[in-house]
Amino acid sequence: MGQRPRVYTTEGVILRRRNIGEADTIFTVFSPTEGKFDAVAKGVRKARSHMRGHLEPLTRSKLLLAQGRTLDVFTQAETITGYRALREDLDRCGAAVYCAELVVRFTAERQEHRELYELLVDVLDALDAEAPLHTVRYFELQLLGLMGYEPQLDVCAICARHLPEADVLLSASAGGFVCSDCRAVAGAGRVISVRAIKVLRYARSVRLEAFAALRLHESLAREVQSALAELIRYVLDREPNTGKYLDQVARLPRFIPAADRPDDVQLV
Amino acid sequence: MAEAGSGTPEPITRLIEAFHKLPGIGPKSAQRLTYHILRAPEQEAMALAGALTEVKQRIVFCSVCINITESDPCSYCLDTRRDRSMICVVEQPLDITALERAGGFRGLYHVLHGVLNPMDGIGPEDIHLRELVTRLQSGEVKEVIMATNPSLEGEATSMYIQRLIGPAGVRVTRLARGLPSGADLEYTDDVTLSRALEGRQEL
Repeated sequence: MGQRPRVYTTEGVILRRRNIGEADTIFTVFSPTEGKFDAVAKGVRKARSHMRGHLEPLTRSKLLLAQGRTLDVFTQAETITGYRALREDLDRCGAAVYCAELVVRFTAERQEHRELYELLVDVLDALDAEAPLHTVRYFELQLLGLMGYEPQLDVCAICARHLPEADVLLSASAGGFVCSDCRAVAGAGRVISVRAIKVLRYARSVRLEAFAALRLHESLAREVQSALAELIRYVLDREPNTGKYLDQVARLPRFIPAADRPDDVQLV
Repeated sequence: MAEAGSGTPEPITRLIEAFHKLPGIGPKSAQRLTYHILRAPEQEAMALAGALTEVKQRIVFCSVCINITESDPCSYCLDTRRDRSMICVVEQPLDITALERAGGFRGLYHVLHGVLNPMDGIGPEDIHLRELVTRLQSGEVKEVIMATNPSLEGEATSMYIQRLIGPAGVRVTRLARGLPSGADLEYTDDVTLSRALEGRQEL
């Protein structure tokens, strides 16, 4: 990481905030050069603060920071992308917060993860441009890969033989999918359809735009979602907080006029 | 607390610890406040003690709008001159004070006591949404005005409520978002500025 200069510039996506004292806020930022870090913005909750809108969570901003004793201090901030469309859509906003939470939970302080940063920005850009919600599945799988937890999608996670073109068992503890011969060893688990595995393989190998353009049936999207959720839960040893919220949002009554509804409805 | 060691009388340590629990009060401030109270005239200390007891004993939540009040239902909910067809939804009781000070709104209020903050685990069940839904069942309410803060969390809360109560056929509106007076265009963020442009009005 090296020694940072006393005042330095970087860019970053604001992941979360925590208010302290009368008018200060600690923001968690994810930056391509600094990794994830906390810094404090003084007086940012006052109406006349110049940095206010530029430090909203889910904003990508140019930042000027000064080294502080415990936390660095924001001295200037300017929006690169405000992601307005994303924050004005309940589902996409929730999906983006979920991605931000995964970054918070998977990364360590001040560790550079340029590829993960690019992935996060790509997904936020896509969601802001109204990409379907299953784009988040791409983020999850790629994130697992970048952090060194890529699930085995081609060979059995136990015996390393090629997976049959059939339904297989998901074993998060074995690190992937398990062929029928090894099922007894793997113990209990969820059975995943061959179609869902193919979606995961597709997410592994193509670019985001290609995956976003995929038309997924609701039930298949849900199957892929629960498989990834299980892998993530195993790695983090906890449920991401936003996961529960997304379920609650998905259960809300939908009163979108039928004409505006995509014909293949996906739920995050 | 290291300073308040064995030699310090127990009531003093207790008060220091009580102050220390308050937000923004560190161990040193807690000690300073405690010794200030010790030196202060007795009636001043008693007045503080009385005020503390009273606020916990006499202040309750309004069973209708969840505002803080001395009598349930609160004065806003009882006021027959207020327009019962409109409910303004706010995050905190202090927001009501601000709106009342500004004047111009004569409807009723609903206090959520928080906003959705999924990453920190604050979900719909943690804010007073159920009470709002119950209030809409009488059919008297025609419009719900969302007056949550224009932050990510406040916006998400508004959209959530809109989707929750929209099917009930109530009109759901949102406070205008744009430039605050005294703002500087140069420093305004893009989201606010683009909303301000959209919401422009004839001079």
